[in-house]
Amino acid sequence: MNATGARRGGFLHGLNPLVKIVAPLPAMVAVIVSRDIATPLAVLALALSVLLVGARPSARTVLLLLLGLPLVVTVGALGFGVWSNPAAVDQSVLLVQVGEYRLFLGSLAAGLAAALRLAALLLLALIAGLTTDGSDFVRSTVQHLRVPYRIGYTALAAYRFVPRFRHDIELIRHAHRVRGTGGRRGPVAAVRRFTGSVVPLLAGAIRHAERVALAMDARAFGAHPTRTERHLVPLRRRDGVFTVVFWIATAAVVVAVRAAV
Amino acid sequence: MTPEDTTRLPVVEVDGLRIRHHGRSDWTPSGASLTVTRGEVVLLLGPSGSGKSTLTLALDGLVPHVIAADVEGRVRVAGLDTTEHSVAELSERVAMVFQDPDAQIVTRSVLDEVCFAAENRLVPVGAVLAGAEDALRRVGLWDRRDDDPDILSGGGKQRLAIAAALAASSDVLVLDEPTANLDGAGADDVYAALRDVVADGSRSVVLVEHDLDAAVELVDRVVVLDATGRTVFDGTPSAVLGGHAADLERLGVWLPTATTAALRLGRAGLAFERMPLTAADLGAALDARSDLPRLPPILENGQEPDAPAAITVRSLTVTRGRGRARRSVLRDVDLTIRAGEFVAVVGTNGAGKTTLAHAIAGLVRPPRGTVSVGGLDPARASVGAVAERIGFVFQNPEHQFVTHSVFDELAHGPRSAGDDEDGVRRRVDGLLERFGLSDARDVNPFLLSGGQKRRLSVGTALIGGADVLVLDEPTFGQDRARADELVSLLVDLHRAGTTVVVVTHDMQLVAEASSSIVVLDDGAVLAHGRTDDVLADHTLLERAGLRTPPLARALRGLRHHPEWRSLTRLQQLPGGGSA
Repeated sequence: MNATGARRGGFLHGLNPLVKIVAPLPAMVAVIVSRDIATPLAVLALALSVLLVGARPSARTVLLLLLGLPLVVTVGALGFGVWSNPAAVDQSVLLVQVGEYRLFLGSLAAGLAAALRLAALLLLALIAGLTTDGSDFVRSTVQHLRVPYRIGYTALAAYRFVPRFRHDIELIRHAHRVRGTGGRRGPVAAVRRFTGSVVPLLAGAIRHAERVALAMDARAFGAHPTRTERHLVPLRRRDGVFTVVFWIATAAVVVAVRAAV
Repeated sequence: MTPEDTTRLPVVEVDGLRIRHHGRSDWTPSGASLTVTRGEVVLLLGPSGSGKSTLTLALDGLVPHVIAADVEGRVRVAGLDTTEHSVAELSERVAMVFQDPDAQIVTRSVLDEVCFAAENRLVPVGAVLAGAEDALRRVGLWDRRDDDPDILSGGGKQRLAIAAALAASSDVLVLDEPTANLDGAGADDVYAALRDVVADGSRSVVLVEHDLDAAVELVDRVVVLDATGRTVFDGTPSAVLGGHAADLERLGVWLPTATTAALRLGRAGLAFERMPLTAADLGAALDARSDLPRLPPILENGQEPDAPAAITVRSLTVTRGRGRARRSVLRDVDLTIRAGEFVAVVGTNGAGKTTLAHAIAGLVRPPRGTVSVGGLDPARASVGAVAERIGFVFQNPEHQFVTHSVFDELAHGPRSAGDDEDGVRRRVDGLLERFGLSDARDVNPFLLSGGQKRRLSVGTALIGGADVLVLDEPTFGQDRARADELVSLLVDLHRAGTTVVVVTHDMQLVAEASSSIVVLDDGAVLAHGRTDDVLADHTLLERAGLRTPPLARALRGLRHHPEWRSLTRLQQLPGGGSA
């Protein structure tokens, strides 16, 4: 295991960021095209075990995953179930009838499947999301996908704006409250509050962006088609191994589920 | 200048430079000329609007390559004509340090930041790292190379920008108001780093700076532009700042505090053989005399010691965060601000200044019964009711604008309070007149000039009839001219009876305008007293991490003339009259 992997624990941290996006892709497709409950559930279990072993997330994240996921799935199942089209589901068991509205067990099953699909997709995305540093991701898109560095590094610089804008919005809201525009409640007042803070926020943002752009130009940013990379994010053998193993595991899980049903 | 210097080739040559931004009709600068030889530190001065910043941008080709502009005359850096060479080529010769530290840091680690320019120029990895280490060691940031720049202090970020500039270029360092966004400690930090950089003479430096007290000891030569941006003086600091002090003051150019004081004393009949430039010079010159003119009587700023309390704060504690991150921002603050006071709230970053101001204005809900503003508790009262007592002015005036014209902006408060339109119109017109905004009544507030925006934001705070004005860092990030414009507006308001509370790290504002000072340190009130008394207490200021105002620094060391030792502000010196 390399230094970065050892530092945070978990082999996922030491993998190339691109691999962590490519490897889960077939699983994502399988989940998206599935309509049953077993397939997303099986993929979810696979992704969760990879995350717990490979990312060694903090106790807080683990708790959030183990408690939050069932909750999200339950709420999602009820929500999707209630809204799903009764004509398209199995109508053999009627659960509730309120006037014209009828809720079938089949609707709940469809809702559960949809919620599980979303949860599985979320976990697959977290494989990269929990273990990848933004700059490393940008570096490897530049190094391996030939994304122009001008775009990648500008995006990274722009990422630094986010906390600043958050601070600005807070200030603007304070300032507008002093002017007596923040007191009213309700959607109309909320929309007006929002539009009122957009102009000062944008005015500040554009000025800030211009200054940052000048500072980057002044340091020869974009002078050449490429730039020196001090920090290589290589594709190594273990990246290939992980991808292949993950693909095989995905195929095995999907096939096993099909066979069992 | 030694003969050896004059034979050297200049590193920077600016000759008859005129610049006109696209879409503008006037040329600023217009006729600027200066040369900088290797290792020389040149201070560029000029009144606001003379084109100093534009000139600095022309030195590395950002004007006209990136910012479109018509350029006449010539700029050559290390023999390269800046209009013929790209910004990238020139960046090897000239590096810039801008005013806003947050707007020039583009990466997520200190080391990456310093490597950025060399990487863009395809320098091999080994050389990139060697240059970066050297630069970081010189500004004392090598041990923090893996940190995110965001966690550095303001002064630390600006030192990082200097390191990035050192690593980027071999010849010239251009700094445009590098300390304008920093508190006193941050500015000291930057100047300490700059002194080290200048010491070995490898880089030429072009510096634009309004805080001459810090800069004057560093510079070899001073170049002064007039209001149109033409070079009018060029020479050593003592020749230009000392020899032409009165001319510079008339031009609206900043002088070291010691020089300003000497000019003032000159008007009282105290002639100086050599104009003092530093606090030490002034102290020595005064000590050399056997007698000094009588001090004018102390004016009490029209403040009644037993005036009714405008603001009372009792046992105010404000905490932030939850769990382990929970900490007190303000601890057990007791404070009485009397009607008619001009109070400056000072302290280092994080001392709780802004939180105190927010609690007084009801922006942070204080616990009930801890704050009273003219009998009103901001914890219970509506925002509107508080706004009628207290006008709050934010650092950035734009943040406060909620309408599309200056008139509506001023009318917004009274209209929301349900006042009749005729009355509103009368009051707004009166205020427009008073703040010199009558010509701009239909203009969108965002299109006003910086000074107009600031006046409008003060106007909106006062139109509801508030007799207490609270300002949060109103001079932060502004040039001296605009800061002084605001200070004189505040002094006028104070004279007319408004109670002013200003949160600031601008010790010049504090010394010249305030009648009393509240010193905060780590969330607690360290002192609250008359401005003169607080500024004369050096141990107190040091404990709170504040800088002694330069005049106090010059005079406290006097061996003779004990009655002069406690003076802290220019107004206390003889020779004022108009000032």
